[in-house]
Amino acid sequence: KRAAVSAVRMKRPVSSLSLGSSLKGKLVRAGFQFTTDLQDLNPEHLSAEAGVSQQEALEALQAASSGHGVAPVTALELLQKEEEFRSIVTFCSQLDEALGGGVPVGKVTEICGAPGVGKTQLCLQLAVDVQVPAVFGGLGGQVLFVDTEGGFQVQRLVDLAGAAVRHCSLLAEDEEQRVAMTTFTVETILSNVFLVRCRDYVELLAELHLLADFLSNRPRLRLLVIDSVAFPFLRLHDDLSQRTRLLQGLGLRLIAAATGHNIAVVTTNHMTTRLHSSQAQLAPALGDVWGHAPSIRLLLRWEESRRLASIVKSPGHMDASVQYQITYQGFRDADQSERPPSKRPRSQTDQSASSRKNTGT
Amino acid sequence: MVALLVGMCPGLDEGLLRSLRAADIRTVEDLVSSDIEDLAQKCSVSYKALFAVRRVLLAQHTAFPVSGADLYEELLSSTAILSTGNPSLDKLLDSGLYTGEITELTGGPGSGKSQVCFGVAVHIAYHLKQSVIYIDTTGGLTAGRLLQMLQTETNNRDEQMEALQRIHTFRLFDVCALLDCLYGLICGRGRGACVGGGSVKALIVDSVSAVIAPLLGGKQNEGMSLMRQVAAALKTMAKDFSVAVLVTNHVTRSGSGEAQPGLGVSWSHVPTTRILLERVESGASGRRSATLIKSSRQACLIKEDFDLQWWSRAEGGRGGGGGGETSGKRKLDETDP
Repeated sequence: KRAAVSAVRMKRPVSSLSLGSSLKGKLVRAGFQFTTDLQDLNPEHLSAEAGVSQQEALEALQAASSGHGVAPVTALELLQKEEEFRSIVTFCSQLDEALGGGVPVGKVTEICGAPGVGKTQLCLQLAVDVQVPAVFGGLGGQVLFVDTEGGFQVQRLVDLAGAAVRHCSLLAEDEEQRVAMTTFTVETILSNVFLVRCRDYVELLAELHLLADFLSNRPRLRLLVIDSVAFPFLRLHDDLSQRTRLLQGLGLRLIAAATGHNIAVVTTNHMTTRLHSSQAQLAPALGDVWGHAPSIRLLLRWEESRRLASIVKSPGHMDASVQYQITYQGFRDADQSERPPSKRPRSQTDQSASSRKNTGT
Repeated sequence: MVALLVGMCPGLDEGLLRSLRAADIRTVEDLVSSDIEDLAQKCSVSYKALFAVRRVLLAQHTAFPVSGADLYEELLSSTAILSTGNPSLDKLLDSGLYTGEITELTGGPGSGKSQVCFGVAVHIAYHLKQSVIYIDTTGGLTAGRLLQMLQTETNNRDEQMEALQRIHTFRLFDVCALLDCLYGLICGRGRGACVGGGSVKALIVDSVSAVIAPLLGGKQNEGMSLMRQVAAALKTMAKDFSVAVLVTNHVTRSGSGEAQPGLGVSWSHVPTTRILLERVESGASGRRSATLIKSSRQACLIKEDFDLQWWSRAEGGRGGGGGGETSGKRKLDETDP
């Protein structure tokens, strides 16, 4: 008897299928409680029994027979897939090391900071760095730049692109790299950046709805930058619960795009004051609701006259703070504005180890 | 409500079914709760035949009471307690995760929920040698971090790979996919790991609030129903397959700034045990504090401090630095040979 009872419970209830609620109600009232009850029926019979239209009956039968989910991926296969994809370097080697190579592909990274600290600069730098050819250790990918604040400046992008091209041509040693340099010029860099300007949250959400199509048409796209995600939502303070829901949905969509299409998603966020036990602290805006969406959070801030970048949230790396600076050439390590930073990590370990001790991390 | 079908019991044939339908009797409940004499006259069938059918249907569809002693025996034989690998957490959880129950970890962003889930998965896969199912809805699952944690447990590459193969992962980003996945595991029709096999002892869902919270509130009326479906699926997994279920949840701030677990009061009845994780302001970067906010076995509001780096601490001297920096999430240059 006990076996019979437990056998009943192994069936999937009809109310858990992804159908309209009125359709599910009609099916349950007609006595079809489990998907196994729906198995051997044809649509005419079902529509007569349950009092639903043929179309709905067909939909219900399809939902009942399909939908057993995807096959699981073992952690080993996941590891192999992760190792296939490189990260996007930031050209600040200390930050790259702290992040384990750079901004990772397949995750949502958030850059927070007060105005003027360099968030848009870092985004522009990443937009150039993602295009570095594979022979130099880059991804050779395209970038979609969604600008909500109007902070995108083409002239600055030209400067950064020029600096990157000069840096790579200095590094080009063998034939393959020299061939790659012919396609890595300022013009091609600019042509691989797709810019979208969104003026409010409705346009931003609409753009992200179209994202799936956009991504399937452009398999070379490896980076999506949203600068900034806070600005359109900061003005929505009359209906906070709607804002919460929109942000949660937005976060889910970005994560799905990042993992499904293997792109790196970078968002920027503002800072706001939070009162915590009668002390005012600076915290990233949009609250804890948005805080769960990005997997990695970088905080850029000023400390006296130095600029520091801290990792405050990451699934795979320890919290760390590194110093950086923004030069004419872009986002770089501190104390190294004269020499172009080498891309070979081993020769960097001594310098970066010593400079890390100096910055007191 | 179970539909009346041909062959459900001896005596229920096509003819009888048709006449019952004509009298508007479609389900077992309708038949059992109606007056047999009246029905026999209306459908022009013999009273005895209908009475016999009713008796068989009642026998098939009633629930049978179980004595407390039998229940206790069954519980003793089927429940297992899985250690999380971290002694402070085990103390809070009364020695670990209990199979047959849902345990919830809640906390703000960056409080360490995903890290605890990784640590538990690695501990169960490596030390207890059981399969783990990990459902990730946040995109935070990093196999590299799992490997890092395994590397501090053993240097043997084969053992690490074997442990990684016992962790089965799913990445889903909406609630319908989550329900499909859970029921696929329950009904055993999903390819790959099937829960009925008996070697899966833990199911981790990180996080359950990421897929449900966007559906609650506003003009949406499906949200609560879907939340209850997910709760029912998780409870079925836990109870019927003797699996320890660990879920994570976000926090919301109440009026006075206190952190409360998300998803509201309706969800609060689902997990048996709830733990709130918080950052320790003054401590080193890996320190977290865990508070027990709901438990049926221990006094509530016990607080324990623990270190997120516990799952990646060095066993003996593996070159883990001195001073404040213990091993674990090493920076790249230190792991270079």
